[in-house]
Amino acid sequence: MRTNYRVNSGIQFRMFSQDQLQELFESVLHVLQYTGLDVHHDEARDILKKAGAWVDGLRVCIPPYLVKRALEMAPRSFTLFARDGNPKHDIHIGPGRAYFGPGPTCPNFIDVDTLERRPYVKSDVPIVAKVVDALPNIDFCESLGTVSDVHHELGATYEFAGMFPNTSKPIVAWSYNWQDSADIHKIAITEAGGQEAFEKRPNYVHYCEPLSPLVSTFEAMDKLIFAARHRVPLVFTPCPISGGTAPVTSAGIIVQAAAESWMGLVVAQTIQPGLPFIMGGVLSAMDMNTMILSYGAPELALNMAGLTELAHYVGLPLWQTGGCTDSKVLDEQAAIEGSLSVFFSALSGGDLCHDVGYTESAMTGSVFQLVMMDEAIGYARRITRGIEVNEDTLAVEVIHKVGPNGHYLREPHTRRYFKSEFWYPTLCDRHNFEEWDMLGRTPMRQRVIDRVHDILASHQPSPIKPETEKVIREVLEAAEDRVKQAA
Amino acid sequence: MSELYQKLATAILEGSSDKVPGLVQKALDQGLTPKDILDHGMVVGMNEVGARFKRGEMFVPEVLMSAEAMQAGLKVLRPHLASSGAKLIGKIVIGTVKGDLHDIGKNLVGMMCEGAGFEVIDLGFNVDPEKFVQAIKEHRPDIVGLSALLTTTMRAMGHTIKAIEEAGLRDQVKIMVGGAPVDAEFAQRIGADGYGSNAPAGAELAKRFVGAA
Repeated sequence: MRTNYRVNSGIQFRMFSQDQLQELFESVLHVLQYTGLDVHHDEARDILKKAGAWVDGLRVCIPPYLVKRALEMAPRSFTLFARDGNPKHDIHIGPGRAYFGPGPTCPNFIDVDTLERRPYVKSDVPIVAKVVDALPNIDFCESLGTVSDVHHELGATYEFAGMFPNTSKPIVAWSYNWQDSADIHKIAITEAGGQEAFEKRPNYVHYCEPLSPLVSTFEAMDKLIFAARHRVPLVFTPCPISGGTAPVTSAGIIVQAAAESWMGLVVAQTIQPGLPFIMGGVLSAMDMNTMILSYGAPELALNMAGLTELAHYVGLPLWQTGGCTDSKVLDEQAAIEGSLSVFFSALSGGDLCHDVGYTESAMTGSVFQLVMMDEAIGYARRITRGIEVNEDTLAVEVIHKVGPNGHYLREPHTRRYFKSEFWYPTLCDRHNFEEWDMLGRTPMRQRVIDRVHDILASHQPSPIKPETEKVIREVLEAAEDRVKQAA
Repeated sequence: MSELYQKLATAILEGSSDKVPGLVQKALDQGLTPKDILDHGMVVGMNEVGARFKRGEMFVPEVLMSAEAMQAGLKVLRPHLASSGAKLIGKIVIGTVKGDLHDIGKNLVGMMCEGAGFEVIDLGFNVDPEKFVQAIKEHRPDIVGLSALLTTTMRAMGHTIKAIEEAGLRDQVKIMVGGAPVDAEFAQRIGADGYGSNAPAGAELAKRFVGAA
């Protein structure tokens, strides 16, 4: 009998050496110190100046010690909680864990009935949330669109009001400004049981997006300050484009994106030390033929893996990207681009991987892409779970017992492990030809469509509290009054 | 009484080899007929196993556990069935055809058929066509099951069927074939009555042949 014998080594992807990571890190510090960023927010500049940054007009340069102190304060591990207390819907951010979810703000949506592309509307929000809630490998919710059929300032408020009752998985909430951020926060803390209860068990994450290259916009900073003051975990994610708004080289875009995100980090940690901060950046290429920002490019997966390594090197979780495509329809291109980026993201161990369900280079959200990627994520997760090696799994005794020309199907060992060792697909077909023929010869595309319709017909998310329903109605009424008065 | 049938069916479904023999004995002690115990208890459980497997709700190792539980019960029941004059649902002769040493698939089908309530006569592997003919004469089975794993040996299935025809026994038995390279079209071409794509499907087919499914 061996003692203390346990080997669990998962599969991971490593691209950079320690020296390379240190070089990247020093380069980010260099950019923040000697180039700096334009910060279009008076209060944010004041906060930075008081903390020890150099401010010259809009330009803010940050000395390395400030960045290092902020990195020191930000946690690597923390939990996002399901609003209904369902532990299966909690997200435990930390080393070796990769979570997945959709992205925000696509102008268009693939209609779930007609399968046609059209503008994203308010009634699409509950559909996306319900599908997210039902899928076993989708862990957090975003809406996959910008609501087009309400007043243009209220899109995010309606979006959150539509998502929150229809999934208990943590939401990553996009918003325009301070006011709609406050709308969202009011709804979330009501369900949590007040501000302090929310601080202990946050049920949503605030999403801010600065501008590339090297600009902290007023809105991004204002929203960041809102989140920091109210202790809302924060994603601060620029979207630089290689060759357009960022250096064409992968190392270069990683350095710039990190500098853009860490400006947010320093402000957030100065206001609220220890605030959960998820470093961001969607780092892809500008296609030099079509000028699109490619969501299916291998450079996206590669850059994101590089950024993930840098984030983990400095002790931050990362806002990963994957499961997205440049394809306009649910086809082979969508499957290839989506699945490979999902797999690469899972291998890199990026913490929250978003944009699952983006099609047409982020112009169109699709729950069909989302459902197909749920299967790809299941596949990828089985691989990254790795191979467990211990005395029982090595199975030497079972091999001896069965011997030559025996079989393992009746062995208790097989029965003990066949469910946990194997991943079972829900969409990929493994029937033989005759069975597949009998079942109607459905291709993947049809099975995906059927699954979406099944979920929408049968899935019941757990309800929100009655008082939260009331607050949602009040928030929406007040928001409508607000825009009427402004007009 | 019906509660005992229910318990038996559930024990079969759950693959409880340790519980089934006791339950069968208890049913016999209460004076239930062996035929009723088989039909209303054990076969009901096994039919549910087949249905769940088809729906993808049960997996092969679990189906085999149920088949084992069924076998354990039959061991107790068989002498009583024989003495009461009641028969099992049918009799099957199985074997892997000449030139093929692969045993496992055929064994699984045999087990599943036994679990489904058949009497199974296993001729082993590398079985000559003449040996199949002899076995039909001797055991008078309802069904003959032929197995092959290799594309090179699957032709021996056709030779075996031909030998059964030439012996004038073809209309006395249903013939089913199975094995990795075999499909429905091949089964039809060589004159078999049916094909099972996997072990549980083979047992299902056998039940259809004797009108038990």
